[in-house]
Amino acid sequence: MSVYINSSGHFLPGPAIGNDEIEAVLGLVNGKKSRLKHKILQSNGIKTRHYAIDKQQQTQISNSEMAAHAGRRCLDSSYLAANQVEMLSVATSQGDLVLPGFGSMVQAELDLSAVELHTSHGICSSSMMALKAAFTNIKAQESANALVITSELASRLFKHTRYEQVSGNEVDFNAEFLRWMLSDGAGALLLENQPRKTGKSLRIDWIKSFSHADVYPVCMSVGMPKASEQSWQDFATYSEAEQAGALLLRQDVRLLDNIVSVGVNGFLKLQQQGLFNVPEIDHVLCHFSSAYFKSKIVDMLDVAGVQIPEHKWYTNLYERGNTGCASIFIMLDEFLATHALTVGQTLFCMVPESGRFNCAYMHLTVVE
Amino acid sequence: MAEQVLTASGQACLQALLKVWFDFDLALSKAPIVKRLEQNRLSQQDYLKLLLNLRQQVIEGSRWITRCASSFNRDYADVRSIVIGHAKDEHQDFLLLESDYAACGGELSVIQSASKNIGSEALHGFLMYRASQENPIDLIGAMWIIEGLGNKMASKWTQLVEEQLDLPQTATQFMRYHGDNDEQHIAELYKLIDRVATDELSIKAIVRTAKVVARLYILQLEEVDSDN
Repeated sequence: MSVYINSSGHFLPGPAIGNDEIEAVLGLVNGKKSRLKHKILQSNGIKTRHYAIDKQQQTQISNSEMAAHAGRRCLDSSYLAANQVEMLSVATSQGDLVLPGFGSMVQAELDLSAVELHTSHGICSSSMMALKAAFTNIKAQESANALVITSELASRLFKHTRYEQVSGNEVDFNAEFLRWMLSDGAGALLLENQPRKTGKSLRIDWIKSFSHADVYPVCMSVGMPKASEQSWQDFATYSEAEQAGALLLRQDVRLLDNIVSVGVNGFLKLQQQGLFNVPEIDHVLCHFSSAYFKSKIVDMLDVAGVQIPEHKWYTNLYERGNTGCASIFIMLDEFLATHALTVGQTLFCMVPESGRFNCAYMHLTVVE
Repeated sequence: MAEQVLTASGQACLQALLKVWFDFDLALSKAPIVKRLEQNRLSQQDYLKLLLNLRQQVIEGSRWITRCASSFNRDYADVRSIVIGHAKDEHQDFLLLESDYAACGGELSVIQSASKNIGSEALHGFLMYRASQENPIDLIGAMWIIEGLGNKMASKWTQLVEEQLDLPQTATQFMRYHGDNDEQHIAELYKLIDRVATDELSIKAIVRTAKVVARLYILQLEEVDSDN
């Protein structure tokens, strides 16, 4: 039983926001301009992104609404009616509500009836977990199709007022770092057990991932303060947790470099298992968080004697922003819309996640 | 990394070695002493223990490298020269460990009289055995692991030790200096790989030895916390 990606769609909220406008949207922390912004933007290379909040930091569209928009666009360009969808598999790092699962909220928003539901929880690689759950479900002939949606609304975490709640008004580098990295958006893919009636489909050859949480400490988190592992749930009140800085999105930047060896390690492992041949890869879609990490990955692959020519790499990170788990789907959707693919071409996708170091890989072949 | 291997066979070997290194690097972070170091829970006592245990292997290290050099016959005279240079660079590294130990408040007589831990025994035994074979090209795999580790010590561990412990600069000479040297040694290793990894059989032997050394090195680090 083969599984095919037969349609895709994405949604980005509001207008594209340039680097000069970011602080006008997220707000000035304590009325002061950031001193780190320029340096971090220079390193990640992102030029424009989208936010679901406006300049008063009011949410204009919820996470589940964005997910539903992407899902609808994906179904609209497919041969499948919404009432024929058998499985809905979704991912986000933070839904609009803590509970219930994000999938329930997206299903209601899309008005899908009696689907089998799956929600995967995590950061960037949760997209691939949601995709794999759908892929294996179809492969096991439990469903004939599955709509997979990934969506992120990170900007709510970056409102200046959130940082201003921290006692002593101290915003450390690790808490500010991601403010200049992440933004909002949603992507969707439709998987079916047969190729699309007209046009091209992408056959999913395999999806694999390797997690290394047993080895590395937490690198990206919400829920613990600086220099402590106390859970936000263990403070007497939520306001105490917020004052301690436990609700800020943090990145331990010193651990971040490990993502390069973790990513290349998995790549070599799959290659040695004979799952793909480097010269036969036609396109590489890698969700790297910044230009800085792309060059490190390329350098290390180079040392390993793996040369993938620059023209095979595709990304829309610099124009659409880093939308966490939604990135790889948004990338794939725009790639398909802008490339004339021929039967037999192959795509290699890679999603390295620094949360606690999980790296996912996928191999696709163009079919008709 | 200006120096790179050039031959197809050398490249295949390097790729396999890189894979062994990555797995070693992951396993390394799980050894309790390394876990404490990398997760900011290292005590001065831990650091002293680490130096004391490393010294017992490092002082024997120059023995296997020199024996390895002498086991290369006339067909490998060029390889022998490189290995001799390598042995000369490192044969007194144990003195740095002793000096670091003293700077950290340890008694010289203690580090000088301690015996090898169980892992060091196994590692040293294996290396001496391999070094005694004729033309032991597989030991390039051992050098790969040990040099890589020196590099990691210098680029990551030194800073971690200095941040966590209130020590004079003179207490981390081994990790820092050893690493400086290793950059150049790794460039030389690339040359050696090109020279000796010429067929599948040699690659297999080199990778096998790298894996054994990696495993035994971890054992040595695990044993830092035991009383044996």
